[in-house]
Amino acid sequence: MSDLPTYILEREFNAPRELVWKTWTDPKLLARWYGPNVETIVHRLDVKPGGLWLNEMKWGENSNYQRVEYTEVVAPERLVWLHSNCDADWNISTNPMMADWPRVLLTTVTFNQVGEQTKMRLTWVPHEASDAEIACFGEAIAGMDKGWGAGMELLAGLLAELQDEK
Amino acid sequence: MPDGWCRSVSVGQDQLFAAKLFGLTGLGLLYNHSVMNISPHPSTRPSLDAIFAALADPTRRAILSRLTSGEASVNELAQPFEMSQPAVSKHLKVLERAGLVERETNKQRRLARLNAAPMADAVGWLEDFKQFWSTSFDQLDDLLEEMKMAPSEEPRDE
Repeated sequence: MSDLPTYILEREFNAPRELVWKTWTDPKLLARWYGPNVETIVHRLDVKPGGLWLNEMKWGENSNYQRVEYTEVVAPERLVWLHSNCDADWNISTNPMMADWPRVLLTTVTFNQVGEQTKMRLTWVPHEASDAEIACFGEAIAGMDKGWGAGMELLAGLLAELQDEK
Repeated sequence: MPDGWCRSVSVGQDQLFAAKLFGLTGLGLLYNHSVMNISPHPSTRPSLDAIFAALADPTRRAILSRLTSGEASVNELAQPFEMSQPAVSKHLKVLERAGLVERETNKQRRLARLNAAPMADAVGWLEDFKQFWSTSFDQLDDLLEEMKMAPSEEPRDE
């Protein structure tokens, strides 16, 4: 493994692995769960190495686009892709709000069946990133790992109070 | 990972505080704010490094907490911490450099006040990414339950 900062998210689903795999690789199913409280439109989904997933998320008048390029596909256990935000023409875009946020995150999802359940592990690593991008991502992870669960609650309280005062 | 396996209960709390953090009511809006790059702030922003470094210290977090109830002088801030004024001043400088605290420049008391905007940016960024997936996974949970209950309704054109 590389020394790059890696963020890990794990989750257990109460369903067999084949079923979970299907929800990641069937465009109709993918559109039903991907994206929080938005309308998800899968413009293209070609789940094979070199294949693209071009995704639009809509809410109200707004749209946000993501471009995914699969680099590794091992059914039903492993998906690896390059994940970027992009413009409406599917060109990878930088983030003006946080310039050093990595443009491309190498995303790896593994599905591991344990009994009736599927353990899923999702990791993000900056891909072909500049030193500044790697540092930015590393700092963000460090911030979360340093007990920021509690810190975040404090901050949420702080900000809520601040807004009440305004 | 300290997170361990995510549970829907804790995710719900996360959403709540993240939504509060941005002063928005829905995750859609939360996402809109952070990923669609609609910046509510001017362009001069302190570095993420400075913000995280500033927030890493419990005394500085306590100072910020105190400042939510209003402006305060160095003297007032020093009292609850049993700390010398120069020590508190030092902490304030770190917070100022991170853009989290502003201080009056032209008055004698130099009251410090909280500026929460950059804080929201820094702590929210990766958290948003996590939120995005966690909320999606909640939806995936529901979809999987549905598929298990009614397998005949699964799409056949895979």
